[in-house]
Amino acid sequence: MSALAEIQPYVEAFKARPPVPEPSWLVQRRDGAIRRFSELGWPTRKQEAWRFTDLRPLQKSSFPPAAAAGDATEADVAPWRYPNAAHRIVLVDGAFVPALSAIGTLPKGAWLASTSQTLHERPELLEPALRETDVLGGQAFVSLNAALFADGFVLALEPGIALDGAIEIVHLGRAANRSAQLRNLILLGPNSRATLIETYAGAGAYWTNAVGVVGIGIGAVLRHVKLQDEDEAAIHFGHNRIELGRDARYENFTLSLGGRLARTDIHLKLDGEGAACGLYGATLLRDEQEGTIATVVDHAAPHGTTREYFKSVAADRAHGVFLGTIGVRPQAQKTDANQLSKNLLLSRRAAIDTKPELEILADDVKCSHGATVGDLDEAALFYLESRGIPVAEARRMLIEAFATEVIERIEDDAVLRAHLSRHVARWLAAGIAR
Amino acid sequence: MTDTTAARNLAPLREGYKYGFVSDIESESAPPGLNEDTVRFIAAKKGEPQWLLDWRLEAFRKWQTMESPHWAKLRIAPIDYQAATYYSAPKRQNAPKSLDEVDPELLKTYEKLGIPLNERAALAGVAVDAVFDSVSVATTFKRTLAELGIVFCSFGEAVREHPELVRKYLGTVVPQGDNFYAALNSAVFSDGSFAYIPSGVRCPMELSTYFRINAAKSGQFERTLIVADKGAYVSYLEGCTAPQRDENQLHAAVVELIALEGAEIKYSTVQNWYPGDAEGKGGIYNFVTKRGACRGARAKISWTQVETGSAITWKYPSCILEGDDSVGEFYSVAITNNFQQADTGTKMLHLGRNTRSTIISKGISAGRGQNTYRGLVRVQPKAENARNYTQCDSLLIGDKCGAHTVPYIEARNPTARIEHEATTSKISDDQMFYCQQRGLSKEDALSLIVNGFCKEVLKELPMEFAVEAQKLLAVSLEGSVG
Repeated sequence: MSALAEIQPYVEAFKARPPVPEPSWLVQRRDGAIRRFSELGWPTRKQEAWRFTDLRPLQKSSFPPAAAAGDATEADVAPWRYPNAAHRIVLVDGAFVPALSAIGTLPKGAWLASTSQTLHERPELLEPALRETDVLGGQAFVSLNAALFADGFVLALEPGIALDGAIEIVHLGRAANRSAQLRNLILLGPNSRATLIETYAGAGAYWTNAVGVVGIGIGAVLRHVKLQDEDEAAIHFGHNRIELGRDARYENFTLSLGGRLARTDIHLKLDGEGAACGLYGATLLRDEQEGTIATVVDHAAPHGTTREYFKSVAADRAHGVFLGTIGVRPQAQKTDANQLSKNLLLSRRAAIDTKPELEILADDVKCSHGATVGDLDEAALFYLESRGIPVAEARRMLIEAFATEVIERIEDDAVLRAHLSRHVARWLAAGIAR
Repeated sequence: MTDTTAARNLAPLREGYKYGFVSDIESESAPPGLNEDTVRFIAAKKGEPQWLLDWRLEAFRKWQTMESPHWAKLRIAPIDYQAATYYSAPKRQNAPKSLDEVDPELLKTYEKLGIPLNERAALAGVAVDAVFDSVSVATTFKRTLAELGIVFCSFGEAVREHPELVRKYLGTVVPQGDNFYAALNSAVFSDGSFAYIPSGVRCPMELSTYFRINAAKSGQFERTLIVADKGAYVSYLEGCTAPQRDENQLHAAVVELIALEGAEIKYSTVQNWYPGDAEGKGGIYNFVTKRGACRGARAKISWTQVETGSAITWKYPSCILEGDDSVGEFYSVAITNNFQQADTGTKMLHLGRNTRSTIISKGISAGRGQNTYRGLVRVQPKAENARNYTQCDSLLIGDKCGAHTVPYIEARNPTARIEHEATTSKISDDQMFYCQQRGLSKEDALSLIVNGFCKEVLKELPMEFAVEAQKLLAVSLEGSVG
């Protein structure tokens, strides 16, 4: 298919949308976004940020947006339920499903609802978050999302509001050859606090294209967990744009297990003095999976801190990619940033590409990065085997230890650590072919 | 002292460019511009055989279809390739047979540069195939080398005397169409050096060539080809100085190294061209393609570079590790001060089993300099037990400069072990305080700390070079503190 033909179904889908009453600013922005998408087309390997990504699974067929939420029951959600959730929102095929959701009592000044409901009741929340940059500077997937999104979730906390219980968001994909275009928004006012567990799962060859905008105000704290456990035939793109105010903290953990083609983009800007972020994650890949973690951390203010640590495991014919950039602007003196990419390459036909990048324009900084690629440690394997543990089991143990080590970096939340470790163990139990 | 405040009052280079003078020699230049006739003119001037002319033309045709690379973190003013002169040679005097026949003006130039060409060459134990602009003027130690069967001569001479060797290896490591600058070089290369070390011979002295750009507006297109046959060893030194000029001068060299089974090539560079003045005016554009191939088992290629000159450096000395158990090394110090920009690094391509590579890169940015390490380590599926260790450290002096690290790691074999680490920091106030408290001046303290920072690389340089390199670091950083 030519480049134009590949994107045509999406342009058609845009034109064919059923008329929904929407504020005029949104109608305008959607028009601008689809124009931008048509200009951009799919990214190619000639673009630096996409040189390691094989988009063929996406290009081979088309995934117009699902018309409505597919059928899903409590049992479909059960495997991913987070034990400690105080609030739950479930979206199926990109649309909010009230029957499966349970939003608990929220304190005054807290807003948690689906994007569509927010558009009706609190459009002022969404308007600034759907800024021009999405339409103009953004990449193709973000523009497409801006044009087509129907739903998602919105969390907005007024100053000083602390949500103690975790918020759980489950995105289920059910419709084959359809896409879920999700638009999420998290706005934390000064000194507010929240924990958010986002899960992406499903069954079938669907495409999830999620875009999140996250704003964290002065002194606010967000713990943001993403469990990407899509069907192994599905495609997943998740793009989060995060801005931190003064002394704000953002901690992200991304556990990526599913998807035929999966990519998580995190664009984070430390905009206020003394802001801190921690980006952690593990990606496990087997069969023909391709998994990419792409992060851009932009230190735009002094005294910022970044801790970044990603691990990936590639077995069988899988392909793991890490693209990490830390940029320090001239004014961002006293930045303290480090970045680590550790990779296990388990098979002769698997591949790992990693590119940790530093771009430093201030002098009084402490920045470092590291990357390693290798197989399981022979000595460790031998040790376990000499203790009578069969080789397959020994390998499994070592892979599990490798992946869960980064989970241990999550402080003060044993329930969350156990939840993520359980999914790692489940993934490993299914075995790898080598 | 804090470096931040120091850099704000950045003083211009005090000593200035020591080697900035122009010697007055009548040039015999090609008219400015580049087309097939220019290529033919060069080939005819040099009396080259038809096959080489064809090879040049093929390269030229490829070059015409190519675009200059734009991926590097470099700001380059558009270059008008039609405005440059592609050939300039000192006036021919029927090929000088001894130093007495050499233009005294030329000798004086070398003297000012301190090149050990005369009896000084013997003292320093260095054989110099001095390249003045484009054509080799004098070659020393040839006889000693000839006795061992070593061929060390200008490229032009090699084409005449050893066409079979040149034809066999030319363009096998850096093909004509490899990249924009390599294609340009292949089309218009003027001269350069050729070395062939026969099987089992250990070259008894360091081979060295001084490159010098002289005639105004004449880009210099060196071509170096070094072949170490089975079990041979050679250490090659390359050092550069150029006169001070206002206009940017283009330099697009190609260096090809070939190490056969068990051979070792050590290639050291001290690059001290004119970096432009404190306002960023002038300076050399250095777009170089350097690549070595370890063709046989247990071959080894080691690149060491100290890059202090050039307004813009675009250079990635690389190793293709084809032979089993072959070894590639890259040691680099790159300094950017004032408005200098450097985008440099290496590529290590692991193809054979048990191949090993080491990358040690030290980048120093001062003033408004921009320094980028860009490297690739790729392990192919058949490279069992490949091993790479990479360390890239950046030092920042002043708050207007930048240091960037862009490593690519591409692993295709699970038995490979690859490690990369990089740090970026400034010179700590504690270190400076300690040195100054012991009575060292700021500049001496800086020089001491920077030399310590670069020690791992400098110790790889042959003795004569190491001394020069240390001095060069101090000169390059002058005015960046205080």
